[in-house]
Amino acid sequence: MRRDMIPLLVGTAILAALPLLGMPEAWVLYLFVFLIYLAVANMWNLLAGYCGLIALCQHGFIGLAGYVLAIWAWVGLPLYLGIILGGIVSSAFALVISIPLFRMKGVYFAVGTLILPEALRIVFLLWRPVGGMMQGKGAGYTIKGAIGIGLVEVFWLALVIGIGSVFLMRFILNSKLGLGLAAIRDNEKTAGSSGINVFKLKLFSFVISAFVTGIAGAVFFMYQGHIEPRVAFDIKWTIIAMLATIIGGMSTRDGPVLGALIVVFMYFLLARFGEISLLIQGMILVLIMLLAPQGIMGSMRKIKERFPLQRRTTL
Amino acid sequence: MTSGGLADLMTPLVMGILLGGLYALIALGLSLVFGVMKLINIAHGDLVVLGSYIAFSAITYLGMDPILSLIFGIPLLFVMGFAIQKFTMNRALKISMEAPLIIAFGISIMLQNAFQIIWTPLSRGLTTSYTLKSFTVSEVCIPLVYLLDFILALVVMLCLREFLKRTYLGRGIIAASQDRVAAQLMGINTQRVYAFAFAIASALAAVAGVFLGMTFPFTPTSGVSFLILAFGVVIIGGLGSILGTFLGGMAMGLAQTLGGYFFGTAAQMLVAYVVLLVLLAVRPQGLFGR
Repeated sequence: MRRDMIPLLVGTAILAALPLLGMPEAWVLYLFVFLIYLAVANMWNLLAGYCGLIALCQHGFIGLAGYVLAIWAWVGLPLYLGIILGGIVSSAFALVISIPLFRMKGVYFAVGTLILPEALRIVFLLWRPVGGMMQGKGAGYTIKGAIGIGLVEVFWLALVIGIGSVFLMRFILNSKLGLGLAAIRDNEKTAGSSGINVFKLKLFSFVISAFVTGIAGAVFFMYQGHIEPRVAFDIKWTIIAMLATIIGGMSTRDGPVLGALIVVFMYFLLARFGEISLLIQGMILVLIMLLAPQGIMGSMRKIKERFPLQRRTTL
Repeated sequence: MTSGGLADLMTPLVMGILLGGLYALIALGLSLVFGVMKLINIAHGDLVVLGSYIAFSAITYLGMDPILSLIFGIPLLFVMGFAIQKFTMNRALKISMEAPLIIAFGISIMLQNAFQIIWTPLSRGLTTSYTLKSFTVSEVCIPLVYLLDFILALVVMLCLREFLKRTYLGRGIIAASQDRVAAQLMGINTQRVYAFAFAIASALAAVAGVFLGMTFPFTPTSGVSFLILAFGVVIIGGLGSILGTFLGGMAMGLAQTLGGYFFGTAAQMLVAYVVLLVLLAVRPQGLFGR
């Protein structure tokens, strides 16, 4: 595993140094977005690719953590703690909501998760935990103190989270938890009868993914500087996570990395087309699922299986 | 919340029950597809909203009455549903368990954004001479559309039941939903049956969309809320029983109207969602589940 990590560590160091070496701000921004997307996509892959849980509530965790940060900052408490708290609240919420949610299977579960961000959006539309009403009775908050944080600092935060999620995935997949998850991915029933506590592993993954997704969201909103219900709980987060994971390859370790790269690149290309770009993304999702459901990494895996590099001398 | 006591409560009660008809209607298509293909079409809510938008265009550009516009709406959605099933869902079912879900999600996204592009994010509604009228029954004031919704839901459901029982296609659908392999062995082309079932479900969505548009305003993203409501209806009412679907519809309708009564209109959907989640936590098979 050590040797595996070296290119990753080197890459991280390079990325960290880039903004200091005079990289144009627009590029830093794209990398920032890439890293946030990477974290969210990795977590979605954890759930969908390894636990068989198609979760459509990622934007719920993101918005929730973002609001926790906003509230925390409003009261004047330190931002970095707020970020972590955002993640904690998200995972606590995930834990609580798993009670009804985990009783459902497959599609039921998916629709169930869809309910969460909708409900949360309404909650935050109506609830003003701190501060007075904004002009026009808006439900938004500025993240106090966020302006003081420069782009480079936020970029490094995103770097920690994005690369952190990659390390986290590698760590999980190499651990006992990961073995169990891989078994569940391949065949849930068999895994269950082999003595794997499927429920516990799924719950664990759900809570972890909520935490990391939450933190990613909090950092994003820290950069953005303000938050409101419509943007916080925008389904586009879940779409991005899904698109990135599926293009890159669901149920593969590095799929989301490739996928997030492609998605950010797509955004860069399609940005001028506005709403049509989202339409195109939906189309791509459908087409990829139909034509190449294993994604890029998955297809490469299949090709490797067919044409192994080493000659097999025995069957 | 003022004086008036019981009569005040009666209004949301009656409205909730009548609204149940509309929600049952919306859920009908979802229930049909789920019963036959065991897949919950996440894009169903958006198909309903598509029905609303088509009617909207018919009113705006052709000056038609929305119910008449179903002459366009039903065939359009029927064909669309058929195409969706034939070209995407069919293959998706063979690929993996998650594929239909993800593809439906993709279609949902496409629809929502198409709506946004074509009809702008503005909130729309289908208004005619009669959508604003209301009538009073012993101190309870009810909008006329609610009653229309309810009666129509009854009519449609009875029609559907007769169709399923008496026509060859209908019985083919029932057979395929009970046992796919056995149906195939009996000579039923299950692919075609599935495509027709999906098409019928979409046509039902068109009808639901028109009446929905007359009852509530809608936006490009309304589809999600209606999907959730329809989902609630299916969960609560269970499958395969007209009564169950009606009761499920009423349960969701009542949750919404009573929620609005006690907590304010802005929170009414939230109440419905919470009720649904609690119900799922306590009794996931639904009240009438098998």
